[in-house]
Amino acid sequence: MEANFLGFLPSFAPTSAWLVWILPFIGALIIPGVGKASKNATGYVAVAFALMSAISAATLLSGALQAHEVHDQVDWITSIGIKAGVLADPLAVIMANVVGWIAFLIMVYSTGYMKGDKDITRFWFWMMFFIGSMQIIVLSDNLLMMFFGWEGVGLASYALISFWYRDKDKDHVGVKGRTVLGLQDYYSPTHSGMKAFIMTKVGDIMMLSGMFLIFSFAGTFGFRELLNETTWATQMQAQGLLVPAAVLLFGGAIGKSAQFPLNEWLLEAMTGPTAVSALIHAATMVKAGVFLVARIGPLFFALAAMGFSMDQFFEVIAWVGGITALLLATQGMVNSEIKKVLAYSTGSQIGYMMMAMGVAGLSHQFVDGYTAGFFHLISHAMFKASLFMAAGSLLHVVGSRFMSDMGGLRKYMKKTYAFMWAAGLGLMGAPFITTGFWSKDAIFGAVYESGNAWAIPLFVIAVLTAVITTFYTTRMIGMVFFGNKSKHIEHMEKEGHHVHEASLSMWVPYGILAVLTIGIGIIGLTAEHGIHELFTEYLGNTFHIESAQEVVKDNGLPSFLEGINPVALMASLGAFSIGISLGYVFYIGRFVDPVKFVNSNIVFYSIHKLLLNRWYLNAIVYWCFVVAPLWLARGVWRYFEKYAIDLGLNVGFEKSVGWSAKVVQKTQTGVAQSYLYVFGAGILLVVFFLFLR
Amino acid sequence: MEYALLQAVFLPLLLSPIAYILGRKMGPTVATWFTFGVLLYCTWLVIDVSLSGSYSEHYTWTKLFGEFGFKLDGLAIPFAVMIYVLSTVLALYSKPYMVHKFHELYEEHVHHSESHSGQTTTIVGSSELTGYVNRQSGLYFALYLVFAMGMLGTVLATNLIEFYVFFEVMLIPGFFLVAFYGDGPRRRISLMFLFWTHVGAVVLLLGFLTIGLAVGSFDFAAISEAKIPQNVLMLAAIAIVLGLGVKLAAFIFHIWLPYVHGAAPTPISALLSPAMIGIGAYGVFRLIVEFLPSTYEQMAIWLQVWGLATMIYGGAMALMQDDVKRLLAYSSVSQMGYILFGIGSYSVLGLAGAEFMYITHGLGKALLFMTAGILIVQCGTRSLTKLGGLAGKMPITAVCGVIGALTIAGVPPTSGFMGEWTLFAGALDTAVKHHSTIRMVTFGLGLVATVITMSYMLWMLKRVFFGKLPEHLSHVKEASWYMTAPMMVLAGFTIVVGLYPDIFFKDILPYIHGVLK
Repeated sequence: MEANFLGFLPSFAPTSAWLVWILPFIGALIIPGVGKASKNATGYVAVAFALMSAISAATLLSGALQAHEVHDQVDWITSIGIKAGVLADPLAVIMANVVGWIAFLIMVYSTGYMKGDKDITRFWFWMMFFIGSMQIIVLSDNLLMMFFGWEGVGLASYALISFWYRDKDKDHVGVKGRTVLGLQDYYSPTHSGMKAFIMTKVGDIMMLSGMFLIFSFAGTFGFRELLNETTWATQMQAQGLLVPAAVLLFGGAIGKSAQFPLNEWLLEAMTGPTAVSALIHAATMVKAGVFLVARIGPLFFALAAMGFSMDQFFEVIAWVGGITALLLATQGMVNSEIKKVLAYSTGSQIGYMMMAMGVAGLSHQFVDGYTAGFFHLISHAMFKASLFMAAGSLLHVVGSRFMSDMGGLRKYMKKTYAFMWAAGLGLMGAPFITTGFWSKDAIFGAVYESGNAWAIPLFVIAVLTAVITTFYTTRMIGMVFFGNKSKHIEHMEKEGHHVHEASLSMWVPYGILAVLTIGIGIIGLTAEHGIHELFTEYLGNTFHIESAQEVVKDNGLPSFLEGINPVALMASLGAFSIGISLGYVFYIGRFVDPVKFVNSNIVFYSIHKLLLNRWYLNAIVYWCFVVAPLWLARGVWRYFEKYAIDLGLNVGFEKSVGWSAKVVQKTQTGVAQSYLYVFGAGILLVVFFLFLR
Repeated sequence: MEYALLQAVFLPLLLSPIAYILGRKMGPTVATWFTFGVLLYCTWLVIDVSLSGSYSEHYTWTKLFGEFGFKLDGLAIPFAVMIYVLSTVLALYSKPYMVHKFHELYEEHVHHSESHSGQTTTIVGSSELTGYVNRQSGLYFALYLVFAMGMLGTVLATNLIEFYVFFEVMLIPGFFLVAFYGDGPRRRISLMFLFWTHVGAVVLLLGFLTIGLAVGSFDFAAISEAKIPQNVLMLAAIAIVLGLGVKLAAFIFHIWLPYVHGAAPTPISALLSPAMIGIGAYGVFRLIVEFLPSTYEQMAIWLQVWGLATMIYGGAMALMQDDVKRLLAYSSVSQMGYILFGIGSYSVLGLAGAEFMYITHGLGKALLFMTAGILIVQCGTRSLTKLGGLAGKMPITAVCGVIGALTIAGVPPTSGFMGEWTLFAGALDTAVKHHSTIRMVTFGLGLVATVITMSYMLWMLKRVFFGKLPEHLSHVKEASWYMTAPMMVLAGFTIVVGLYPDIFFKDILPYIHGVLK
């Protein structure tokens, strides 16, 4: 970027790069102490530390936007030769700012949302821990240290998803009594936290294997060290281990970003307080997976450019992303819990990002897909954080997680209504005015133009997902804000609880993000070009990935759309209009009753049931990986451990000793004659043996 | 410092009668602090000399066996430090737990004599109870000191016979502690403990005698693989591994462990489980890996497979337990599997990780047993189905227990992760370098075992600390400082070691490099 418009900010790199992740941990450590003195003060401390961390990240921007890189190391495990370090390159700095600032807004929101909770100290501790861990992932310069952050976010999510650990009915997710394949689709917070931690652990062990494979050849975990000296890749290629190692590393991202087939934990993660959901979905945790791919993707592409065949790795990423995008979007259409709809939507949008990063590696213009994926990450962070926080306000006001318990709220919560539309339009990708539109369009363009064998199928999936996304977003807004008041609300009003707008500290944060979604959306294309240019330079300087000079083709579109692929644009516009019209017909205009429509014929009914039952994937996961292993373990416990080992070896031995003692006892008859007989027989035997020799 | 290790080993033994007398005359508090003081001083001695990296003392013994020495090197330091650190903090923890136990035993005792004498109930004078408690606490702490000293002696020994003597010395107080203060059918279980570990020890002794007689000396320094005839070498090694396998509670030989750890008084479980059974791992390191390197090379893969079986089996059985202490006991079996797995990895990192696992398991499992002890004292039950939702009632215990569980599950920033990643990185390294499919598969299944570990740990936490609080636990209070403060020390320590593992790695790695040339 030529003009450094942030030049006025001072830069204290690399100190500030360290501070970005250290500050939240300092905050986390002092919060329990502060909580002893005053519970109310903990919120201010947390917000202050989140702000300081975000400011430290901002001071790095001026350098990063000129494609500078800050790399600083200290000794860590000297006996193995491992150093800890921060790597603030443009990728990391932009990510750190997205994380830092959105987390800060969510913290402000939480001061309102969590007001009066008696375990508030614990909440703030884990929120700070969460942010700090995420910033470690972003700024670490090696895989091992990154893994610290990686497990840190896992731990924090476990603690926060199960935050309301007393397992009250209102904190569950799912519908009580509803079963899928004989298993309840109703989960308590403590169960959900465990589920999230264990499922992401499955991804983590894949990531660890990938890390160790590379470490075994390269002897280092450092990102830059791996790039500078690539004999390890040659050796791994020779043994056929390079692509498996890369795919295993990506396995970590599958788990953490809730991609197919490790996607099921994300829905149950909705048992956490909504502020936590916002943080998990917008800034931390699920974005970590995308960031990991953004971190290692260029490395492997640079290897591919040197002649290593890495296509399968990028194909896996693209397809995992594509499948997840469609799979989760479809389920978002039918769910009745507002937070779950948003969760499905997150998984699906992350799928988009993965798809873009994947096709980037399959095309000649790596930077196109890479930028598209990353730009979508930023815009998604803004509108999804906003949507979640707004949903939190709704939950707060209505006291129910079901959209069918809302309805007609637009008159009572005007601000939330407006902001939800703005952010929702971002998610739908409303043309020309939202960030979501530009980033999604960039992904469409990158996929379409990538020119590999899978381009068209992936493009079709992407467009289909866009239609569905627009539909379920419209459905959500329609069900919540339009139509008549639900029975639940009428009941509440009778009891004297009136529906009202959320408090200031709550609506301001999501208001800001909603406005930004539109505000940046208006200059979206320029913003995208800026990032594109920056990444071109970054990838060129650091990874020597040369991009073809951008030739602005005349695409026959108005000048403000220069550089846009017309096919992608048309697809984008088409998807938006189809989705929103369908949504309008069913949920805003309410010309057709969706329930009657679904029940009208067997095909619609079965599809609806399939989607509602989560494609039966969750139930299958439980049957195969929870029920069956426990059954097996019980069998081994009952029949092997208790009988073969305990009775056989332990008790059996004990008994046999007692029994043989009795036998020996019986021989002690005390009769001299029998002793003599035995004595004589013994002598005979000895003589016999002597003769034999 | 002269005689530092001699003092560290023999002071507790020499002062144990004083602990007995103090307990008898002045009660459990004095005995506790006396024991704590003695062990604290000895711990300081051990840490002080281990800072120099390597240190040894030699004393003359009989001509027959060789010299009597103590040696702290990269292998012994982590073991010695952990044994005494745990013994020291658990001495404090013992006080409220054991007093609680003595009261229980007294009631049993009174009830027993009543039913025999057939007299009607009389109001028991409180002085009689105090006398009973004092007597028992004197005995307990005397045995406790000897137990600690036996463990330390084993890992410092420089002679096969000396090793064996200490190996048996720790068994005797262990036996009495279980027989006197255990739960359930304690006499029977203590006999089982004695029987199994003694049989293991005798098999071990056979191996020792074979080596010692072949070499012509029992001194560690004199042992050289080349001097041992090929035909007995492997037999001796197998005898040693099997003997130590019983101590380690490796798969098939593990069956004594859940009984004993379940029945032992909890502070002793917390010492038995991480500190004592891990000494089996120390033995394998010292006797097989260091002294018989070429035999080790042949055996390594089998040790790894045995370790894997133990990891998975122990984990699966832990999933099935309802008794907290038995769950933790099976978890110990599984963790010993990790160590065996690492020893079998035949790589520098793997061996270093295995040794590190001893530290990490020591910290984590001690924390968890201490949690279980608090549950027994405060809630009066150890059945998981009767527990739940206690996090709000006992926050300090909950935090420390969770840190302990995370240590066992290998989650950073606890020390568990540092042990686990080096262990697995080493295992994979060997698999790749040797192009060994079986090692690849073992590595993969080993990682699956970590998922099992995490599952049973999280499930246990959920059933103890989270969920709905049962009615009968609504008046439960946090435990006393005697119990929580030691836990906080260990919880802090596991995080410090997890963030800065060089504290131990700087000793471990040079040693392993030296051994695995």
